[in-house]
Amino acid sequence: MKQHLTRRELLAGAGIGAGALLVGPARSLAASAPAGRVAVAKCKTYGPELVPAMEKMFDQIGGLGGLVKGKTVAMKINLIGVRWQRLGNAPMEETFWTHPRAIGAAVHLIGKAGAKKIRVVEGPWSTPETLEEVMLSMNWKPQDILSAAPNVEFENTNYLGRGKKYSRFMVPAGAMIYPGYDLNHSYEDCDVFVSFAKLKEHAATGITLSMKNVYGTTPITIYGEGAGKDEPSLRPHGGRGGVFHFASRLPSKSAPQQIDMSLPKEAGYRLPRIIAELNAARPVHLAIIDGVKAATGAETNYGSRPQAAVNPGVLIAGTNAVATDAVAMSVMGFNPMNDRGKPPFASSDNMLHLGEDLGVGLRDLSKNEIAGVPISEVVFDYTAVRNKILADRKKA
Amino acid sequence: MALNAESVPMRWPAGPLDIACREKAKGFTAETADVLRKWLDPDSLAIVQSSPVNCLVVSWAAGLPADADQPAALKPLIEKGRQAGFGFVGVIEGQADRPAAVAAAKAAGLAAVAMDGDAPAGAAIPVIPWNKAAKLKPAANSPVLGISDGVWPGIPQPSGQGGGPTNLPWVDSNGAPLLIARVLAPDKAVWIGFDPPTPQTTPPPQQTPPRPPQQPGNSADAYVLAVADSASYGAKWVISLDDQLRADLIARKPAAMDTWKKVIHTMVFFDQRKQARTYRPDGPLAILSDFAGPNYDAGEEAINLFPRIRQPFRVIARPQAAGANFAGLLAIYYVDRDAPDAALRQKLIAFAQGGGTLFVPSNWSNPEGTPVPAEPYLLFKVRSLAKGRLAVCKEDQPDPYDVVADIQNIISHRNDVLRLYNAPSMNFLYETSAQGKQGVIHLLNYSRRPGSDGPLFYVKEPHKSARLVSPEIASPTDLAFAPQEAGGAELFLPKLTVYGAVELEK
Repeated sequence: MKQHLTRRELLAGAGIGAGALLVGPARSLAASAPAGRVAVAKCKTYGPELVPAMEKMFDQIGGLGGLVKGKTVAMKINLIGVRWQRLGNAPMEETFWTHPRAIGAAVHLIGKAGAKKIRVVEGPWSTPETLEEVMLSMNWKPQDILSAAPNVEFENTNYLGRGKKYSRFMVPAGAMIYPGYDLNHSYEDCDVFVSFAKLKEHAATGITLSMKNVYGTTPITIYGEGAGKDEPSLRPHGGRGGVFHFASRLPSKSAPQQIDMSLPKEAGYRLPRIIAELNAARPVHLAIIDGVKAATGAETNYGSRPQAAVNPGVLIAGTNAVATDAVAMSVMGFNPMNDRGKPPFASSDNMLHLGEDLGVGLRDLSKNEIAGVPISEVVFDYTAVRNKILADRKKA
Repeated sequence: MALNAESVPMRWPAGPLDIACREKAKGFTAETADVLRKWLDPDSLAIVQSSPVNCLVVSWAAGLPADADQPAALKPLIEKGRQAGFGFVGVIEGQADRPAAVAAAKAAGLAAVAMDGDAPAGAAIPVIPWNKAAKLKPAANSPVLGISDGVWPGIPQPSGQGGGPTNLPWVDSNGAPLLIARVLAPDKAVWIGFDPPTPQTTPPPQQTPPRPPQQPGNSADAYVLAVADSASYGAKWVISLDDQLRADLIARKPAAMDTWKKVIHTMVFFDQRKQARTYRPDGPLAILSDFAGPNYDAGEEAINLFPRIRQPFRVIARPQAAGANFAGLLAIYYVDRDAPDAALRQKLIAFAQGGGTLFVPSNWSNPEGTPVPAEPYLLFKVRSLAKGRLAVCKEDQPDPYDVVADIQNIISHRNDVLRLYNAPSMNFLYETSAQGKQGVIHLLNYSRRPGSDGPLFYVKEPHKSARLVSPEIASPTDLAFAPQEAGGAELFLPKLTVYGAVELEK
């Protein structure tokens, strides 16, 4: 019987079973990872309290002026999944998507702080439609966002868009799955990159917050199931599952290819690493998380999962995605220091840990500066909601 | 009973010809032959008495030796059936001697015969043209038009097939050929034929959680969907039962009787709503084609796909386009690769000049207007034309899904009149009355399983009332409009297993 595992076997093993060893980059860059400043605010509605709450948070993390004045800002929002599938009757913005009023509020404040241009970006599920069209299809009023500040525009980053070529972002060091990623020009054009996410759990990765939101920057003309084999396709077709979750196909050959084809083909192994790499390659300058209204249980409606539309009544913002997500996890009742096998990482590795190893940021709350409302005052226990749903189902 | 638009048909396989036609097929058993004999028994008519079925479709001639025995074998059934008020239609197919078969049908008292191709000259009884959808014969001298190649509606298994990159499953529906038949022959009744699938003999793969064992044969809901899919598109399915159900009905087995009662209940439901059959599909987009020859496939596929992207539409037959009213339309998709005549082209261009958008194929000669910038991925080059636009497809053989997606994209969701949520396995058909005061949204669930959440409609225009009718609920239910901040209102529906309709009143 073999007594020792090869590194390949070790890597494969990390993709299976609870409590398996986290295999990060060959050399951890955690020691050089920056600390972040994170602010927490109570905000129960998307009404008049929203803008003051957000503005106060931004002030608490050092103000927006120094970050955005005279700069071009790209703000990646979250419009995940099949938009025609709601959770019950709740509109998407009250469960899975960044709320349009929250987007408008952030745009307004970034504009007020002197941004030269604000481009709101996202790669919505499997479509080349403009973001304006996607919003109209949800009965939003995109004009409210476009008029919230001067020089605001939208771009669907699922494909080449208004660019002439894709921009390449290499993982600075310690790449685990891909050495780099080709993205829409908007992510290179910007001086400041904002990730504006929703406070949610995720079926494959445990949580989806500001780090995971960056996953949606990847163009599906290259990383989608209908991507071109050699070159990016002209039109985006399909989701990203084939390339990223399960490695059932490769990205277009024009893009950086997977480092090692024998790596586990398991979403819980691959996605946290890909997300950490994307955050290292295209760092987030400002992370914002909309937890005013959200959904528990998963990132989109799975039908059979114990999910609920909830009203945590909280906003979180920070200068570092790992730190901001660590605070958000704590607000959700999770321990950001947990690894695979412990909630919420039942079957995945902890993307925050991997981000830390790539030098993106620190997940230990004590190593970051946290301002605003104490976390203990805004904890909204996602696990408790799930347990209640399951108990109610059992009774029924 | 004479054949007319109100005839309600049911396939009645019985006798030596059906046995001869099927005996070489895989899975044919002595039990099946026995059932085919038993359905010859006039007493078997009790199954359809007190049901809306009033027309039995029997095999009449197929060019086989058994043709000779079939009329005599059917005689007692036909005689008793006619006394009970049933009409009979004889199907003539294959290499049968058609004039002789028609004459024999007349002599036997059949109300009509059905056959593909052309009717024999001088046929003394109505001949229902019974052709594939692409070869429909709208000009035939018959009050009924037949479509012989309908599909068993549902989500095909295995369902790995995708209906486009929308994460919505592919659905098999007869909606497109039926809508085409309706516009090509607006004054005729349309019958569509398709048989239930042979029930699986091997157990399905292990399900998690395991589903309860199913009765052999097709489920009652599968039959309900087959009735509803045809009826909601204004046509009649020539009811056709699987061997197991026929055997069990003859044996009066309770489960089979329950299934049959459910089918009858659904037929009665639609029969009580005949008024809605006068409504016509409506929406801001019209699909215009002659739906003939090489144009058929593109036209049918557009009508198949627009429901999947939830785009309501009208259908205009090109031969009638000169007299068609374009009022209320925002866009017209001219499908055909052969050019319209000068008058129609002028009418279409005038529509665009007046503010509409005209979508045309790549071979549209000398396109009018001037080019305007458009997203490079779009399949259409967009040209400005007075107050409107002409959109010319860039490709000769475009992906049909991309075509409909880009048409919707260019029309803009700003102009959506309806949106459907929480219904990935459903299609809807929106129809309005001639004056536009009443509307109905037929909602069909091709999975035959209620979703995790009830479906939900966004309705742009204000209405006085909305109510849900369905064979699945005891009585109509009033629906409340939930007004939306950005305009319009939402209607929340309960979960539906197979079919429901929202009746709207302005």
